[in-house]
Amino acid sequence: MNNPKGEALRKQLRLKIVEFASKTPTAHPHIGSCMSCIDILIQTLLSEMKAKDKFILSKGHASLALYVVLNYLKRISTKELQTYFQEGTQFGIHTPSTLPKDIPLATGSLGHGLSFASGLAKGFKLRFKKSAPRVFCLISDGECNEGSVWEAALFASHHQLDNLIVLIDKNGFQAFGKTSEVLGDAASASKWKSFGFNVVSCDGHDLKEIEKAFRTLRRMKNKKPNFLICNTTRGKGIKAIEDKVESNYTAIVGEFYKKALKDIEKL
Amino acid sequence: MRYKFAEVFQRIAKKDKKIVFMTGDLGFHAFEKLRDELGERFINAGVAEHNMATAAAGMAYAGLKPWIYSIAPFVTIKVLEEIRNDICLPNHDVKIVGLGGGYDYGIAGPTHHAINDVGIMMTLPNMRIYAPGSAEDLEEIMKKMNKEKGPTYLRLTKAEKIPVAVSKYSPVRRIVTGNKVTVVVLGSILNRLLLAKGVDVWLVSEMPFLIPQDLKKSIQKTKRVVVLEEHVEVGGLGHYFHHLLFENNIMVKKFLHLFAKGYISHRYGSRDFYLKENGLDKESIAKALMRL
Repeated sequence: MNNPKGEALRKQLRLKIVEFASKTPTAHPHIGSCMSCIDILIQTLLSEMKAKDKFILSKGHASLALYVVLNYLKRISTKELQTYFQEGTQFGIHTPSTLPKDIPLATGSLGHGLSFASGLAKGFKLRFKKSAPRVFCLISDGECNEGSVWEAALFASHHQLDNLIVLIDKNGFQAFGKTSEVLGDAASASKWKSFGFNVVSCDGHDLKEIEKAFRTLRRMKNKKPNFLICNTTRGKGIKAIEDKVESNYTAIVGEFYKKALKDIEKL
Repeated sequence: MRYKFAEVFQRIAKKDKKIVFMTGDLGFHAFEKLRDELGERFINAGVAEHNMATAAAGMAYAGLKPWIYSIAPFVTIKVLEEIRNDICLPNHDVKIVGLGGGYDYGIAGPTHHAINDVGIMMTLPNMRIYAPGSAEDLEEIMKKMNKEKGPTYLRLTKAEKIPVAVSKYSPVRRIVTGNKVTVVVLGSILNRLLLAKGVDVWLVSEMPFLIPQDLKKSIQKTKRVVVLEEHVEVGGLGHYFHHLLFENNIMVKKFLHLFAKGYISHRYGSRDFYLKENGLDKESIAKALMRL
């Protein structure tokens, strides 16, 4: 499951994100969040997942990161994606319900993805028993504020959903501050371990590390659902907004756009 | 109606292996047999309704037919966003069963009542609502729900017997014939209506619906319409039917809506206590009809 093209893609898809984000003068593409999770998406969708596996982007505000990966996979054509943020597009700020094969759940309101992924993983087990496909669900650390995340965690653990892999984009930020300053670290290893998950941590920007973490989780044969903590940096690749709360409130325009392109080239 | 529900459900689910039953920790002394029969397809999702609703959407996506069950407010009002985003928007085949429509839960109080559930569900895309008038209709309704693809809401109540023999099930049907006033009733409050002479009674068990020709004729004859429901004024049968009359150019001389006003005294009591306080008990309804 090695991903030799991955390193090049880390730059290439970041450039795509910035290019599409630059088509709107608004800050709505949530560039910080996209840059934070794009490496996780590359390793998961392009290497780890098999054809029947499903991916749920629970942190729906990072939709542009998913769109560019699906574009790379030729699931969304470039022509279609060029409508991003235009009137009448399928591709708005949050993921749509119109591409159910590749985007099983339209998200945007936080705290829904993990319940859906757990239900889907359970459904797969009921239908396909031991050959049940796997379900990958990307959530954010801020999202773990939501009570429904914990309801889903209990469900996944109780039903021994070992075909569920929760990926956490742990960048330490939420909408209006650091997670540590809002409600504390809801994405800590100890919390998720205590909920009955296999917990593995990795550098969420290092594809080899993510790959290694996946391999570790694959070897676990203990009927537990899996939780992969990907330690990330919000805005990764664009120096001016890295590790800053404003990274999700920055429009990709003018000089900032040009500088962002240069930064990414140096990544 | 929950015993009847369990009995019918067991039969349907025995044949249809795609059905999965999820309960929000309800079913003591009612669903034990069902649990044994369904095995792994019976899931107690715990007191975690938000997860239950969305997990059901995930199961529907996996090709299963989940039914979720709890006390009516806990599978409607509490999880409205999950139903809207995850079930209705993508049109998933999830059946929602709410026990205790209206004031059914009596002295358990307002937290357990569902007097605005129909209105809320009516605003959701792809949603179909079933409000059985009696336990006798339940089997037909549940079979229909299982055949239909897409979200549905079943408003279960205790539903005492209806004092007259009723015709074969249809979404809107005549219960007794009369020529002075047309009374249109939503679900099981029907048995609080005294079937007096001259009253043309119609039972509505599904929403939304199209107005049947015979009902149209009845109203054209009586020119008096009463809508009766155990639901608040806004969003339920009353407003919907009023709208239907205008849409179909049916002119009436009188239109009376008998509905749940809410919690007037803020005192607790049985369903009958609440019905009386809201003018929905037998005597109050009869008086209202006489005044018409």
